[in-house]
Amino acid sequence: MASTANSLLGRDLAALIGSDSVCEESAPLTAFAIDGVKPGVWATPGSVEEVAAILQLANERKFTVTVAGGFSHQSMGNVPTNVDVLLRTDRLNRVLHFDPGDLTIGVEAGCKVAEVQKKVATDSLLLPLDISKAQQGTIGGALATATAGPLKHGFGGAREYCIGVSFVTGDGRIAKAGGRVVKNVAGYDLMKLMIGSQGTLGVITSANFKLFPAPKQTRTFLAEFESVEAALEYRDFVLRSALNPMCLELISSRAHAYLDGFDNERWAIVVKGAGSDAVLSRFRRELGAEISKELAGSDEEQLWLGIQEFSETVQKRHQNAMSMTLHVASSGLSNVLCDAEQSAIEQNMLFACVGRAGVASMAAAFVPLSVDPPSVMQYANAVGELRRRMPRDSTAIVTRCPREAKAYFSVWGGPSGDVEAMRAVKRALDPKGILNRGRFLF
Amino acid sequence: MGLTEATARLRNLLGAENVLSRSEDVMLYEYDAGVDKGTPGAVVFPAATQDVSGIVKIAISEGVPIVPRGAGTGLSGGAIAREGGIVIVFTRMNKILEIDLANRRATVQPGVVNLDLTSAVEKEGLHFAPDPSSQKASTIGGNVAENSGGPHTLAHGVTVNHVTGLEVVLGDGRIAEFGGRVVDGCGYDMCGFFTGTEGTVGIITKIIVKLMRRAESIATLLAIYDSIEDGANSVVDITREGITPTALEMFDGLTLRTVEEATHAGYPMDAGAVLLIELEGLHEAVEEQAEAIARVCKANRAREVRRAKDEAERVLLWKGRKNAFAAIGRITPAYYTQDGVVPRTKIPETLKVIAKVSEKYGLRIANIFHAGDGNMHPAIMFDLRDPAQLEKTIAAGADILAYCVSVGGTITGEHGVGMEKDKLMSLLFTESDMDVMRSLREVFNKNSILNPQKLFPTTRSCRETGAAAIPPLMRKV
Repeated sequence: MASTANSLLGRDLAALIGSDSVCEESAPLTAFAIDGVKPGVWATPGSVEEVAAILQLANERKFTVTVAGGFSHQSMGNVPTNVDVLLRTDRLNRVLHFDPGDLTIGVEAGCKVAEVQKKVATDSLLLPLDISKAQQGTIGGALATATAGPLKHGFGGAREYCIGVSFVTGDGRIAKAGGRVVKNVAGYDLMKLMIGSQGTLGVITSANFKLFPAPKQTRTFLAEFESVEAALEYRDFVLRSALNPMCLELISSRAHAYLDGFDNERWAIVVKGAGSDAVLSRFRRELGAEISKELAGSDEEQLWLGIQEFSETVQKRHQNAMSMTLHVASSGLSNVLCDAEQSAIEQNMLFACVGRAGVASMAAAFVPLSVDPPSVMQYANAVGELRRRMPRDSTAIVTRCPREAKAYFSVWGGPSGDVEAMRAVKRALDPKGILNRGRFLF
Repeated sequence: MGLTEATARLRNLLGAENVLSRSEDVMLYEYDAGVDKGTPGAVVFPAATQDVSGIVKIAISEGVPIVPRGAGTGLSGGAIAREGGIVIVFTRMNKILEIDLANRRATVQPGVVNLDLTSAVEKEGLHFAPDPSSQKASTIGGNVAENSGGPHTLAHGVTVNHVTGLEVVLGDGRIAEFGGRVVDGCGYDMCGFFTGTEGTVGIITKIIVKLMRRAESIATLLAIYDSIEDGANSVVDITREGITPTALEMFDGLTLRTVEEATHAGYPMDAGAVLLIELEGLHEAVEEQAEAIARVCKANRAREVRRAKDEAERVLLWKGRKNAFAAIGRITPAYYTQDGVVPRTKIPETLKVIAKVSEKYGLRIANIFHAGDGNMHPAIMFDLRDPAQLEKTIAAGADILAYCVSVGGTITGEHGVGMEKDKLMSLLFTESDMDVMRSLREVFNKNSILNPQKLFPTTRSCRETGAAAIPPLMRKV
């Protein structure tokens, strides 16, 4: 029966946005399966109005809709209940306005992150959205998943520099919040709600950003330590100093295997400084004798690319690895990383991580030892044990793991705050719960 | 059911000494720093979150509106009881609950005064970055509700960039917590959403904020111009050069002279405009940027670029800025100030438009504003006793804001919408945009008691009540 309904849906969607923008063929749709759940149909709307038309139809008939940008981070989330319509933002790919003099840009959601970065770089500006797979990932996807990279240390996540957003709610209402200027308190700040909402509140159609002057030159300084405690002690020293690095990363001893340019198994703190020769020599002086290596040019670029793509590299090498994002209080990072390592060992897994040492946001990998094929319970137990040991205000989100394991735990863990209020937000914007059903907290 | 019953029940809940209802007592809470007015039916002083929850429950069952209020320094009428009802004042909830130096966080009650938090952590080399001009009086609860800014938000961000955790009482009296010490978490960013909702979706009862380290080096520059246009062009070029000062403030000639007469901060009396520029950071970077800025300003025909030689001189220059509006109050019986924002490249043109508006209506307008982020603060001077001037003032203000929006800007950068600009929301937002925002308000405020008639345009005439008959003005007191 479902296929009949979908085919009807396909015809109706084609009537709304044109048959070229709707696909119901099995083979191409298989490539867009999410955790094995194949969409019934895909639609590629070319305007906000078309997005609204699709959602109004889906809402009326209670069809589920999942949004896809570059399909680069769809491993996030629990297994979808079903996906009647995969709404792809590929055709929403225009730059709406670029105002280098004002340091702002507005782009549609389907624009590739790397392309936007390239565009602003021509005017010596920076969009600090250094996500993994930036060539493939889209602006809409980066916002919906609140993905961040090493530049989060210096610039914060997208919530700190996204100044406007347009979206369509689950019930098909066209909305926007914020605007094009860097300071604005008119109306509710719905950028904050859309960022990290995992496509469950609306379909982001465009966003405006504050841009930053690109640094004229940078250097990267490496310090290596025997233990996580020693590394974090050095982090605290850097945080107390007058230095204001762009990036401040912690690299675990086992993460070196997935990065170029490391030849031993020690914990490392990596500091990226930007500025004139005088500023950089100040970095050199303050960072002191602990610095074992200073990188510039392509070596420096390679290192940061490697850090940015850490989870991808792990996953390429070990298909059965589990990736996590850990957000913890900065003072508790050392304990949480020890707990994570312990939880991994107990389940016959290796633990490796890289991440923002200053703000204590880490990309972690749990790699099953290749003695036996891993059982799903190893993943469930490792996650459960880590969450049990972590302080209450920490978060451990599984961003990727084998599909089968997802049946045994929530990839999200406990929500950071009152879940009833979050549900109320969901009710207001997606009253029938058609968006990304099954994949989020509720 | 109603206010009388509610007041009696509030006395039971909080003690008679914590509930005011005599007209001479509640009159003190009619105003904020504008002079929109609205007389509360009762004013209450809770001591704890549970009290606030109890107040909300009483308000629901008695059908009486609630307006949360910090220090009453707001400029858009956010804390005014537009429909009467209960005003909740947080002076008893004014404790710093925890300072967590390791994580650079502070947990505070909403009634803590902005500057008091900085004073408490200064010896550790830390500060709370949002610095509205009202920071000596305004409360952090109010700052969060209004998402307040200030001169130094250019580099440090506004209040929302500094809030990581909130406890709120929702419209049904339920207490909810969001976030904590950690910026990111799992689920929706409710802290980010609640900040700046102007008391319309919940009442903030506890706040966790970031504390920032003080920079090792600060340079404060004063660039002096014969023409305001040259000053405005300097702002455009500084932004273009890729220099981000922590503050970049502009005064026009009229403001300068007024401020100088009042504060003797050392501003030149004969200039067309000045820029007050502050740089923070590593000593080396600050020195380089100070040089670059002096170069840009000179290239734009700055007559002189001075640098504060010590902390005393720096403080004096800032005193002039922070007391500017009080100084303007010395030369006019009343003024009406706005905070529209324009893209920074549009500042020179916007100043010309403001001059034209001034001419068109025959009203003097002083400009002192956060130039670095395009946040204009035209102060339109008028005589409150002349109804014709009042009309003209409102029209002049609306003209300026309409221009700001027409060049891609907004109607408020830091003061909030409140009851002052609710009608102007439709310049920026479509009915559909506002419908979505309202639907969020409704799920948290089913009983429609939280700060009614604020932020969104109402179908009723917004100025129909006698109490709200005049627009937000600063009156000489």
